[in-house]
Parts: sequence; C-alpha cells; structure tokens
Amino acid sequence: MTLRNLFGAVLATVLLAAPAVRAADMKDPAELKKLLETLDDRQRNGGDYKSLMYIEQKEKDKTDVVREAVVYRRDAKDQLMILMTRPKGEAGKGYMRLEKNLWSYDPNTGKWDRRTERERIAGTDSRRADFDESRLAEEFDPAFEGEEKLGKFTAWKLVLTARPGVDVAYPVVHLWVDKDTSNILKRQEFALSKRLMRTSYYPKWMKVFSESKKADVWFPQEMRFYDEVEKANSTVIVVKNVDLKPLEENIFTKAWLESKSR
Amino acid sequence: MFQLLLIALRNLGSHKRRTLLLGGAIAGVTALLVILMGLANGIQTTTVETATTLMTGHVNVAGFYKVTAGQSAPVVTAVPPLQKQLLQEVPELDYMVQRGRGYSKVVSDTRSMDLVLGGIDVKNETGFRRALILREGRMEDLEQPNTLLLFEEQAKKLEVKVGDTVTLSSPTMRGTSNTVDVRVAAIAANVGMLSSVFCYLPNSTLRALYQMRDDATGALHLYLKDTADVPAVQARLMKRLPELGYKVLDHNPNPFFMKFESVNREAWTGQRLDITNWEDEISFITWSVKALNGLTVGLLALLLVIISVGVMNTLWIAIRERTREIGTLRAIGMQRGWVVLMFFLEALLLALFGTLSGALLGLAVCLGLNAAHVTMPMAVQVIIMSEQLRFAVSPLAVAGSVFIITLCTTLVSLIPSFLAARMKPVTAMHHIG
Repeated sequence: MTLRNLFGAVLATVLLAAPAVRAADMKDPAELKKLLETLDDRQRNGGDYKSLMYIEQKEKDKTDVVREAVVYRRDAKDQLMILMTRPKGEAGKGYMRLEKNLWSYDPNTGKWDRRTERERIAGTDSRRADFDESRLAEEFDPAFEGEEKLGKFTAWKLVLTARPGVDVAYPVVHLWVDKDTSNILKRQEFALSKRLMRTSYYPKWMKVFSESKKADVWFPQEMRFYDEVEKANSTVIVVKNVDLKPLEENIFTKAWLESKSR
Repeated sequence: MFQLLLIALRNLGSHKRRTLLLGGAIAGVTALLVILMGLANGIQTTTVETATTLMTGHVNVAGFYKVTAGQSAPVVTAVPPLQKQLLQEVPELDYMVQRGRGYSKVVSDTRSMDLVLGGIDVKNETGFRRALILREGRMEDLEQPNTLLLFEEQAKKLEVKVGDTVTLSSPTMRGTSNTVDVRVAAIAANVGMLSSVFCYLPNSTLRALYQMRDDATGALHLYLKDTADVPAVQARLMKRLPELGYKVLDHNPNPFFMKFESVNREAWTGQRLDITNWEDEISFITWSVKALNGLTVGLLALLLVIISVGVMNTLWIAIRERTREIGTLRAIGMQRGWVVLMFFLEALLLALFGTLSGALLGLAVCLGLNAAHVTMPMAVQVIIMSEQLRFAVSPLAVAGSVFIITLCTTLVSLIPSFLAARMKPVTAMHHIG
C-alpha cells in the first residue's frame, strides 16, 4: 500500500464517519473543499481499475448506437485507456491519457491524434473526465449555492469554477450532491458565456471493496448525459463488472492499444 | 470676346428647358462618376488599410519549412537573428511584428468551419486594434493564451458567443493531428471577404497547436514609414538575404495559402524564405477593386458617348433654330471663327455649369452616405471589403471628372459650330425653319 493510498483510506474513514455537515457550515470554504475531497476520495481507488461499459448514443434523425468499451485506469499515475470492443466497425478504436494528453487511435488509418478535454468520446455526449478518476478538488474552486430538492432527495447545490490554468471540458459546473449519502445526483456544465452545454444525471451508485485502498470505492453504475445544445442528443453509460485487481504493466502504451486491432 | 460670352449666356437663358435638361444630364453623369470613383477609392482605401493590418505587412518575410519534400508548413524558424538582420537591412522600417500562420478546422458544439489562423501578439499590434471594431469582448483578453478572435459572420455560423469554447484541429508539421481548445474572447465586426477567411489567436496558442518552438513564427510583417519604398525594400531583401546565407524562394505574387501545392511539388526540404509585398498577399481580394475600377471606366465611356451625342444633337437643333440669326451676324461682319467661338462658348458654359453642379451633388451624396453609416448586406460586404459603405472622394478625382466631361462635351460641340460657321450669310438669312 502506497503512502497516498494509506492517506486516502484514513481520510475516507474520517470523512465518512464525520457527522452530517450542516448547510450553514457549507459556506465555509474549508468545508466546501473538504466536501469535494470526499466526493473524489469516495470514487478513488489508488490502485488499478478496470470496468466494462455499455454506451448508448441517441442522436436526432439517426439510429441509436450501442457501443461496448473496456476502461482501464491506473489512478496513481493518472493513466487511462478506453478500448472500444463493439460494434465490429469500432472495435480496436481507443483513447489513451498520457501525462495530461489525451490521444485517440483509429486502427483503420493507424493514426494517433491528440485530442482535448472537449473531445466527444466515440462521438457521444461523454467526455474523457466521465471515464476517469474524479479530480474535482484539484480542478475546481467551489461555492455553495444552497439546498435544493431533487425529487425525493435533498441536495446541496455547489457551483464549481475551473482553477486558472487547469484544462477541463467546461469551466463552470453546477453540482447537486445528495446531502445524506454524498453521492453526486446531477451535474450541469456551462461555457464561460453562461450557456448551458450539458446536463448529467447519476441515478445509481454502487460500491466495491478495494484491497489496495482498504475501503469501498464508489462508482456511478449509470450515467445519463443530455446535450443542451443539440437538444435531441443524449448518451447513457452503464458500468458493469468493475474490477480493482492490478492490471498488466504494459497496458498504458500506444503499442498495447495498437495490438488490440491486429 | 465678352460680347460673345454674353450672347452665349443669353442663349442658354432663353432656352431654359433645353439648358436645364442637358445641364441636368451632364450634372447627373458627373455626380454618378464622382460617386463611383468615391466608392472605388473607398473600397481601395479600406482594403489597403484593413488588409495591410490584418493579414500582411507592407513587406513580408515569410517562408515554408518542409520536414519531407511533400509536406510544407508556413513557418519561419530561428526568427531572432533574422529580425536582427532585417533591422540592419531596412532603414525605411517603421515597425515589425511577428505573425503566426496556420490553417485549422474550427469546431463548435454545433458546427465546424475551416479558417486561416493568424497568430498575433496583441500588445505589439497597435494597427490591429485600430483596424477592427469589436462587437463583443475585449481585445486585451487576447493577451491570455488559448483565446480566439472571431468575426461576426463566423460567430454566427459557429453559433458561439464570447466565453464559449471551440476546438481547433490541425495537423502538425509531422502530420499528427493536434487539437487545442480556445475560448472566444472577442467578436469583431465583419471586414468583407477577410472575415469569412481569417480568425486570430495569440502566437503562443498557435505555436502550441502546431507544436512549434518559441523562436518560430509564420511571417515577419514589415511596416515601412513610406509605402512608396515597398518595391525598393522588397528588391533589396530578395538580393541581400541570399547573400546573408538564407535560401529564398522565387517571387510568387500570391498569398501564402495558395502556394502550398507548388511548394510541396518542389524537392527541397528544410527552410526557405518567401518575400512578398502587401499587394501579393491580398491579390485574391483586390479583384473587387479592379472590377469596380473597370466598371467605372466602362460606365464613364458609355455615359460620355450618350452625353456627347445629346450635346451635339441639342446644338444642331439650336443652330437650326438660329440659322437666320447666324446669317444676320455673318452679314453684319462677324467672321466665321467668331461664330465657331460663340457656339463653343455656349457648350463650354453649359458643360461647366453641369459638371460643377454634378460634382457638388456627387460630393454631397458621398458625404451624406458616409455620415449615415449605411450597413450593407453580406453579399455586398464581400465586394466592398467593409460592413458599411465608405466613400473616399479625392479632390483631384473630382477635378479630373469635371475636366474630362467638360472637355468631351465641349469638343463635340465643335462639329455643329463649324457647320454653322460654314453657312453663307444670304442662304442663312433666307432659311425658313
């Protein structure tokens, strides 16, 4: 267990054991920061991560497309790999994050292209950050907006603003966090012009026990993304089979992804 | 002579309707000519002012870098020593700026379009600020990296506002596709065709997109104290830079983005400089100025023919009406030359009154339209290189119009005047008409 994982486990235990924070406390920047750290830490494994995902894409005037993908993560080194496995025409395509650079690979052309945070993963409404480790506390400065009712849930509404120099898909994020469970329920992302770009819902959260973290790791089993610019477009991601066992050493290389389509 | 002038004036006054009709026609043609020349001149001035600020210097030291023979990029490497050489070689220089060059797909959340990229260091670009009118945002924000200036037309097509993010996607010099997210920091008023082709971003962002070093740029724009020195400076640099060890391409009077095909066909690799002047770089848009100039000349010729025929015809009628008067004048001793002069003066006075009032009318129309700031439809904006109609009336051009039309209409009057003078007094006095 690395020092970082140990620290994470201790922090998670302390934070989860702490009594529910009152809304009045949330005006304190330190409390807000702590909440973001909690949100990140609940989802952080520290070791490796592998999951099978189904991505359903709905686009106006087009047939719905369902893709199958395997996501590999090594959070300790900020590495991410998304490998498309189905349908056949998309199998072998993938994305890899290396030192804050996102690369896409297309086996049909054999070319690697460098992409930005705004890249629509496989042309859907999802972005790289939706598949990656949660880094809210690192990337955003929070502000508390108040309590709001989301259906039967009481949620804290936070407004997150991207820190200067941090590369994120959207600079302003509105986040609704379940007051009781600290699960993220809803997320709205805005451009700097205050234009609403995307709304996401996280209706199902699951947990798995992590040997490396010695604590539970939470993940949204279902994510629903609604394009607010092209209103009829949406994407649903269903996460299956989360596996936190150590991965092979050489997975996060261009050669590995290229080999999957040969 | 004075008597003849009085007779001419009296004749013009006694045939008021004819004088007004013919004088009005001459005035109309003159006014039209003044307006057309003002418009052509206005377009030319706007084009030169805008284009020499936005996309070219008076003289440009640009170039292409080829990693392989078939793949060129509009890049000049090792800029600082080159800048130093240029400062020594061009004493006529007013100031010099680095301008990045590129070509990219600009992708918003709803649309995409291909645009030519101009890399700027907005702090050093004093002329750039003057040439553009901002509709949204602040020019100073372009000092921040990953920002972009779009024109209204582009922002409308991409459906973006200030603060929205777009992605630029371009192949680097090595052929790898690279992308950069940029925030729309400013939206400027359209400037004709340029606004559908060009957009601007900080040089640092352009370098990041193309993965270029800090000492590389697209072109060095040289602004001279006097534009009359452009040919001399260009010729000097074409001669001196090869002597200083730089490899220079043969002069090709086209903008850089029209040269990729020919440069890629050549077998060399590495760096070649390309020296152009502002006229070369905007040759793809000066067609509108040339077309309008051609139209002005053609229209002027046609109108002059019509007016000349009108004047000649009117004088024929006047001479026919006044045949007996001519006979009497000849009988009491007036020489043939004086008869010619009498009709000549009448035509001259008519032409002078017509052209002067026409020039004043044309001038008033131009000034009025300038003051009204008339915004033109997009199709017209492309031709006139500006969002609004702009008339630049030159006093010399007005004087020239007055002179040419007066000269032509007066000269044609000589034919009927000579015919009138040739008449025998007896025949003329017996004429019943």
